[in-house]
Amino acid sequence: MKDKLEQLLQDGSAQIAAAQSESALQEVKVALLGKQGAVTALLKEVPKLDVSLRPEMGKAVNTVKNALSEQIEARREELKLKASEISPDFDCTLPGISPKIGGLHPITQMCYDLNDAFRSMGFEVFSGPEVCSEYFAFDNLNFPPNHPARESMDTYWLEGHDKGSAYEKLCLRPHLTGDSVRYMQTHKPPFRFVYPGRVYRNETTDARHERAFFQYEALIVDKDFTFTAGKVMIKSILSKVFGKDVPVRMRAGFFPFVEPGFEIDMGCLVCGGKGCSVCKNVGWIEIMPGGTPHPNVLRSAGLDPDEYTGFYVNISLDRLVMMRYGVDDVRLFHSTDLRFLDQFK
Amino acid sequence: MKLSLNWIKDFVKLPDDMDLSRLAYDLTMSTVEVEGVHDLGKQFDGIIVGKIVEVLPHPNADKLRICRTDIGGGEIKEIVCGGSNLEENMKVVVACPGAMVRWHGEGDLVEIKNAKLRGVASFGMICAAVEIGLSDLFPCDDDHGIMDITHIDAPAGTPLAKALDLDDMILEIDNKSMTNRPDLWGHYGIAREIAALYDLPLLPIEKFVAQEVEEFDVRIADTERCPRYIGAKIEGLYVKPSPFQMQSRIWRVGMRPINALVDVTNYVMLAVGQPTHAFDSDHIQDYIEVRRASEGEVLRLLNDKELALSTDDLVIADAKEAVALAGVMGGAKDSILPETERVILEVANFESKGVRRTALRYDNRTEASSRYEKAIDPERCDQALSLAMALFKELYPEMKVTAFKDVYASKLERKEIDVELSWLERRLGKRIPNEVIAGKLGIMGYEVSFDGDKMHVVVPTWRSTGDVSIKADIMEEVARMYGYENFEATAITTSFLGAINQLDWDLIRRVKEYMAFRCNMQEIFTYPWMSDEFVNAILPDTEGTLALATPPAPDEKYVRSTLLPNICKAVQKNERNFDEFALFEEAQIFNGSKTVCPYDENEKLPLQERHLGCAFAGKADDIAALFRAAKGIIGDMPRYTHMESFTFKKDEKPYWADEVVWLNIYLGDKKIGDLGLLSKKAALACGIKVLSTVLVELNMDAFVPFKSRTNRFEHLPEFPMNDYDLSFLVDRSVKWEDIYKTVLGKKSEGALLKDVKFVDEYMGKQVPEGKKSVTIRLVIGSGEKTLTGAEIETVANSAIKKLSKVLGADIRSK
Repeated sequence: MKDKLEQLLQDGSAQIAAAQSESALQEVKVALLGKQGAVTALLKEVPKLDVSLRPEMGKAVNTVKNALSEQIEARREELKLKASEISPDFDCTLPGISPKIGGLHPITQMCYDLNDAFRSMGFEVFSGPEVCSEYFAFDNLNFPPNHPARESMDTYWLEGHDKGSAYEKLCLRPHLTGDSVRYMQTHKPPFRFVYPGRVYRNETTDARHERAFFQYEALIVDKDFTFTAGKVMIKSILSKVFGKDVPVRMRAGFFPFVEPGFEIDMGCLVCGGKGCSVCKNVGWIEIMPGGTPHPNVLRSAGLDPDEYTGFYVNISLDRLVMMRYGVDDVRLFHSTDLRFLDQFK
Repeated sequence: MKLSLNWIKDFVKLPDDMDLSRLAYDLTMSTVEVEGVHDLGKQFDGIIVGKIVEVLPHPNADKLRICRTDIGGGEIKEIVCGGSNLEENMKVVVACPGAMVRWHGEGDLVEIKNAKLRGVASFGMICAAVEIGLSDLFPCDDDHGIMDITHIDAPAGTPLAKALDLDDMILEIDNKSMTNRPDLWGHYGIAREIAALYDLPLLPIEKFVAQEVEEFDVRIADTERCPRYIGAKIEGLYVKPSPFQMQSRIWRVGMRPINALVDVTNYVMLAVGQPTHAFDSDHIQDYIEVRRASEGEVLRLLNDKELALSTDDLVIADAKEAVALAGVMGGAKDSILPETERVILEVANFESKGVRRTALRYDNRTEASSRYEKAIDPERCDQALSLAMALFKELYPEMKVTAFKDVYASKLERKEIDVELSWLERRLGKRIPNEVIAGKLGIMGYEVSFDGDKMHVVVPTWRSTGDVSIKADIMEEVARMYGYENFEATAITTSFLGAINQLDWDLIRRVKEYMAFRCNMQEIFTYPWMSDEFVNAILPDTEGTLALATPPAPDEKYVRSTLLPNICKAVQKNERNFDEFALFEEAQIFNGSKTVCPYDENEKLPLQERHLGCAFAGKADDIAALFRAAKGIIGDMPRYTHMESFTFKKDEKPYWADEVVWLNIYLGDKKIGDLGLLSKKAALACGIKVLSTVLVELNMDAFVPFKSRTNRFEHLPEFPMNDYDLSFLVDRSVKWEDIYKTVLGKKSEGALLKDVKFVDEYMGKQVPEGKKSVTIRLVIGSGEKTLTGAEIETVANSAIKKLSKVLGADIRSK
């Protein structure tokens, strides 16, 4: 009987440990300690034993009974804590609930990225009025008197302000460059500043052309500044914005307010310069004009062009943002369609 | 513009092993953007000259023939062909298997394969001109005619590209990249740039010297608009096709060959960039006069457009009438006709802006006008005349110049510029040897001399029409020809001026980030012009609202004096897809009723302010919640963005707002904006059908940023605070502001009532008519001890007493 008891304790412990749920454990409990249970059966054997053996064996059976009881309760507690608080059928593949967050316009985001980059290089932020005179839109910037850009098919003139002297004619600014003169006239050189903003051109719109777009200009003016330093500046800005080293090249280009003027290209980030549909197989993408301020522009800002020089860049933010996200229709930026804007969180 | 490399080679000898992609790259970097290099010969790969030996009937088809064709190397092949003009000994174009052709000139290119046609095996195909893209050079009246090249001197088996001299590379130049360079609009100009790039000699065009002949009567009435006019009367000419080589060159750069007389004038223009024109001399009466048109003068152009001219137009006229629109296009009547035997050749210079105005006025820009627009120098007439005369002589050995006149009324002054070499070095960051500068500039036609630090430059005539005029221009010439990529990168050197501290810009960004990231609002961009529909809905009138002279659409004339019309348009647009959303825009508005001079005292501008506009759109069943959410976002904005706080007052109802649901926003005693529910009437006028919209507009220029953060740390309460909720009935007209003030009274240092909060209000069935049930929460506590229940009750009872006494409140629960 002693051996039997020993065996029962061993088997019972194993069964308790193997029970994986409270119901299974209950079954084990019944099988061991219930009325028909194995331990109960042994207990019933005790009175049939020789009297001299009864107390010892009775004690031994009770010890086993208590031990198993304790183990069962401990196991029950363990299973209780282990069990899920919810139905075992809970579906973890249900979609998460996203935080309710609005967003900044993708162009604002790019503008702020550039602001951060330029401010880290000591540039101030500036902006001028969107309605300006012909004098500030063109005359100050070395545009000849009959330049085609001045005509109403290119520039939005205001009704009642579309005739008269260059100071009297008012338009929605066709570019930002005029504002650089405003800054220079009201500050002391050397200058380092950016002046992002909206500009407007009277154009027929399509996927690549807009009437309202966002530009980002920067100007640095100092006593000695070579165009190669301008290239270093552009390269560091673009590399910061795009998060990797961006190849930059400057090639001949013509704009009235710069001399020499450049078209500035960045290496195509889509194909890495090998040539693809985005860069029309050239490996380069034209992103901005730039160059040394024309002596006449510096003069209109009250500076001596023999003493001062500098570097302009004029970034088309729309184009940069289109490249960042692969947006294929520039008109979407002014669509106010939340289904579009919602994608730039 | 398209350029033929073979043609360029007439003027500059390029090495045979020239790397063309390198050439395209170098031109792009230094001069003009080369958009593409196209191998013309390649499209004729596998296409050869064949000679038909015998034409046999096809056993199974009436319209087909079997041509036994010599394809060179002693091979005779059988080719099935349906051509209507097949003859023995005819030389034809054979597309061998593997060649690419366009069936009947339509659809995509397809590859030729050995095939059976109606049961007979055919080697490749005998082509019609249209099938290999040569119909301009080999026009054929018959749709079924195949291309006849019997007259081409090339034996069977010769590759077609070689036989027709089509082994050429075509450079595509982006026209926009050379609008400032009148000298580049022809092959000679580009050849000059290539010569300078690679230090190669540029070949001259031999100068024509006029024989002693009768003086031709040329009169210039407006020498400003026409500085020079050469007229040459030539006899012994007649209309015939020009030589194939000339036709081919004209065709490959994108124009159509017409006849020898016209082709010569076009060829000259394409070669040197100077337009020329030929009149039928028999139709020109007495003399040529260059004059302004009279008002309404009628001229029918070569393209059959009939114009009623203005006095700003310059015309070429004879004794009787206008015969051509100067610099733009010849007249229909007096240009080259089939029976022409004598011509008057015009080589003239016209002022650029006048030509541009005229071409645009009649929407009639041409190859000629687009070149004149760029300001061609009058000296170029000599080149064009020389080349034209040489070509006429070549094509018509019997031709004779019978009268000639060169009226050169105002001679072009060559620009002279002094450049200090030390300045050049400083600006370029590099010293370039004098002989390198002189060499490059010399090839480009500049005369350069040095005297110590001074370099004296005489600009060539073709760069003197405005293109090159100051020393910065010379710097550019030197730098681009030296190669922009040959300058080492230099670090930016400027002095440190102090940290950037722009509180106003930081605040704008914080406000936008607050709206977007804390308040679940989406930023939008709208146009500065507004649709009339929304203007009428939102504005009481358009007094002081500026308008565009040439608006993008007839009903989008007004530019924004407020952001709200366009914001309402955005709400209307998004209503379709969303039933709850909030958006904002930050932009400038224009107020035409106030004039300011913020920069230049001569520049009077409308008042322009930076505004913030918001819309909160939601379902119409809980306007209170919509309004309170908007008010919360605006009211908390100053705290989150660190600026002077706003207050709300009911002062002046915005035109667009609901009768009851609106507030004005104040900063100190200055009104800076409005907050309100869009009235039902305005919403309907905007086409907003379902949603309710709360609008906000604020003048951001009035915002006052804190110089630094201003709120102070508060110690955490040592003893517990107790919430005590009270519900009571009051008249509906009682405002929360009254309840708050009544309960809290004047806050004193040791008061146990710390705060009063709004919990809820209810109007409905359980509440008597004219009353509302309000629940508020009293926050009760002490800084010195834990309060007993009795002490808390005392505070609450005092609040209850005030509520009943002052506001007539009837307590329902506590």
